[in-house]
Amino acid sequence: MTIKRMTFLQELLKFMGLEGRLHLDWISSAEAQKFVQVVTDFTEKIRALGPNPLSNFADLFAVSDLCHAAQDAMSVEGG
Amino acid sequence: MQQQVKAWLEEGTVDIFLGYKLVQGHPLPHCFTKENIDEVDELIVSQARYSLEKIATKVAAVHPDLKIGLLARDCNQRALNVLSVWNQLNPDNIETISLNCCPSKLKEGGADCSYLAPIQAGPLKKRVGIDNNMDVAAAEEFSQTERINRWMYELTKCLKCYGCRNICPVCFCKECSLEHPDLIATGNLPPEIPIFHLVRAVHMGGRCIDCGLCEDACPADIPLRLLYNKVNQTVTDVFDYQTGTSPEQSPFNMLGEEVTLEPKPL
Repeated sequence: MTIKRMTFLQELLKFMGLEGRLHLDWISSAEAQKFVQVVTDFTEKIRALGPNPLSNFADLFAVSDLCHAAQDAMSVEGG
Repeated sequence: MQQQVKAWLEEGTVDIFLGYKLVQGHPLPHCFTKENIDEVDELIVSQARYSLEKIATKVAAVHPDLKIGLLARDCNQRALNVLSVWNQLNPDNIETISLNCCPSKLKEGGADCSYLAPIQAGPLKKRVGIDNNMDVAAAEEFSQTERINRWMYELTKCLKCYGCRNICPVCFCKECSLEHPDLIATGNLPPEIPIFHLVRAVHMGGRCIDCGLCEDACPADIPLRLLYNKVNQTVTDVFDYQTGTSPEQSPFNMLGEEVTLEPKPL
C-alpha cells in the first residue's frame, strides 16, 4: 500500500514539475550498507538535479512570509 | 416534472425536494416541501447547477431518516454514488429525477456533459499559464521547467477563497486539513502555494467525480479540474479504482494488500 501511495504522490509531483525528488526504498535495520548506498545515490541524484525549482520563486515566498508575519502581528495587537 | 414532484411530496415518497427556483431572476437552489406545495410550480430547470447532493448530505446529517428528492444530472449521480459509498447518504432515502445533462455544446459529442460552456483562455494564459481546456496528456508534454512555471503562474492567482472546497459535492469532512492551524491556517494571505493545492489534490484522489464545479466557482480560473483529472487517472492506474462507479471506498482507506509494483529506480 505504501508503494501505491508513494507512486501516486510521485505522479502528482511530476505533473507539477517537481519530479525526481521523492524516493521510496525498503531497507532493513540490518542493511546498513544498502542504507548508505541508497542515501548516497539519492544525494547524488538530487545534487545533479540542482536546486528545487520552487527556489526560483524565493522572492514570492519572501513577500508571502512578510505578509504572514504582518498579519500575525496585527491579529495579536488587535486582540 | 412539477407534477411528479408534487405527487412525490403528497404521497410521502419524499419529505423534501431539492431543486431550483427563480429568485429575482437568479435560479437558486431551493427546498420544496409539502407545506408549500404550490411553490413546486416555480421549480425550474436551467443551465444553473449546484451541488444539491451536498445540501442533501447536510440535511441528512441532522435528519437521518428524512426522505430527500433531488434533481440530478450525471455529475450529481456520480456524486451521490460517492457519498453513499462513504456513508454520508443512505441511498434508500434518496430519490432522484434525472435531468438531461447541461445544455452544453459539448454534450453532443457525449464525452463531456459537465461544462456549461468551455472557458476560453486568453493569449497570456496560453503563453505562460495552463489552458483550462487542456487535457492531462497535453499538460504533461511541457518540459519540467515549463510545467512548474506554468502551474505556479496559475496558483499564484489563488485568493484562498475556499470556493473550490465549499462547492465540492464530495468534500464532507468535518475537519479540513486546509483549515487546520498546524497544517494550513486560515486567514493568512497569500495562500501557501503549491501546498494548498497539492493537499486538496491528494484529497481528491478517489473522490473527485469530475463535475467541474470547482473550476466554475474559482474566481481565478485555476485549472483545478485538470489537476484532479490527473489525480484520478493515477488512482485508476495505480489502485485500479474508478471514482464514482466503484462500489467500495477509495483505496486510500485500506491497509495491507499484495502488490506487484517495484520501487522506481533512482
